[in-house]
Amino acid sequence: MSEKVVFWYGCNVVRHGDIIHSSIEILRAIGLEVAPVGGPSYCCGTSKDANLRAADGMAKRTVGKFNDLAIRLAEGGPPPADGTGAAASGAPAPAEPLAAAKVVTWCPSCHRHMNQFMGEYTDPQFPMSHFTQVVHAQRERLRERLVHRVERRVVLHRHFGFREVDVNPLVEDLLRLIPGLELVDSDVSVPGHMCSALVSVPAALKDVTRGVCDLAREAGADTVATVFHSCQRVLCGLEATEPFKVVNYVSLLGEAMGLSLVDEYKEWKLAGSADAVLERIGADRVEELGEAFVREQLMPELLRAPAK
Amino acid sequence: MDSLRAYLDRFVADTLDRCTRCGRCYDACPMTPYARELDGASPPAVVEGLLPLLQGAPGSTEAVAWVKVCTQSATCIDACPEGINAMLMLRAARMGALGSLGGEAQMSSTEDPLFFRKIEAFAATQLTPDEIEQWHRASPGERSAS
Ligand code: SF4
Repeated sequence: MSEKVVFWYGCNVVRHGDIIHSSIEILRAIGLEVAPVGGPSYCCGTSKDANLRAADGMAKRTVGKFNDLAIRLAEGGPPPADGTGAAASGAPAPAEPLAAAKVVTWCPSCHRHMNQFMGEYTDPQFPMSHFTQVVHAQRERLRERLVHRVERRVVLHRHFGFREVDVNPLVEDLLRLIPGLELVDSDVSVPGHMCSALVSVPAALKDVTRGVCDLAREAGADTVATVFHSCQRVLCGLEATEPFKVVNYVSLLGEAMGLSLVDEYKEWKLAGSADAVLERIGADRVEELGEAFVREQLMPELLRAPAK
Repeated sequence: MDSLRAYLDRFVADTLDRCTRCGRCYDACPMTPYARELDGASPPAVVEGLLPLLQGAPGSTEAVAWVKVCTQSATCIDACPEGINAMLMLRAARMGALGSLGGEAQMSSTEDPLFFRKIEAFAATQLTPDEIEQWHRASPGERSAS
């Protein structure tokens, strides 16, 4: 029987359905049965520093749902035994091995919030690992599925703030599995755990964005690989003016697996005008969301070019 | 079950008890050059001005400026000789500066009031109705893995 995992992708990554779908296919490729969850009803509450009652309620609700889901999924089966999972911080030491399925995180904010806050005052009954740890531990199995050549010269956009999991070397190892892909060695690493952390400090984000362009040029890279969704969100618009592509690393793994998933969010960011964005989103989806809402609430983000 | 506030109160009491105001966490921070208010600031003095925020009391202008540029780079954690999670200390100070710990707010929240509405909207463009139903809305008892 294959191991079942909960894949907790978070909230903001829903801008990039290709990242969610590629990640699920990667987890399946290494032999896992996946129950994906995300969106507002699984929010960790990390953005609620101004409203601790809301943060408290969200954390308790989400941990409670995970306890329920992870135990149901495991159906009394053996605990995950690949050695990559540590019990979420704050979980009491169980008398018996945990029978719950593992929760696999994608978002470093959710992962951090679970470790720093939620796990400290709730009662998580499940082991938790980051996506990179789980996939890296089974990378030889993944290698068998990476059969399509991806002829790119890639440099990785690295942050040093996600202290809980040393994701950069794990991602670099995964990228090196891809046939045809040339990974440029780099030790350039920037503050924050991902680019969204820098948005509230525009001068820092500008420095980092300019640094990405310099790094790609000096490396002679045709592709900048992002680790996290918010870096993909913030940097993908660079393709409008720079001679390189911005692609999340799971999309590169997906390309090598033969998946053909499109980063639509990037296509919208590169559309160039409000009318072109609406055309690319398509009349049906615009109507479903409400054109006024799209124009007033989503368009400013989609038309904003990366400042550098 | 515990509460977020009770957990924070324990963390704050422990931090206030152990912090020597040495300022090494501030020294290790890569973000301080991005706040003009911090030009030439004394690290111990900035920390001294930060600690009241943990209890919902006013912090110094410099301390609030430091809180505003914190991007959770985590370099402060290893820098602390007392083993305090200084990144968490900054996060708690941020909650204090936002007025969440009982005092007056000294900075405004950057939270987007339409955050969840936008998440739902983007999800509707990127996931199928079935995926949204299963992955976002179904109760744990209705879920299976595939
Ligand atoms: S390094 Fe530690 S002890 Fe020194 S000021 Fe910072 S938190 Fe306090």
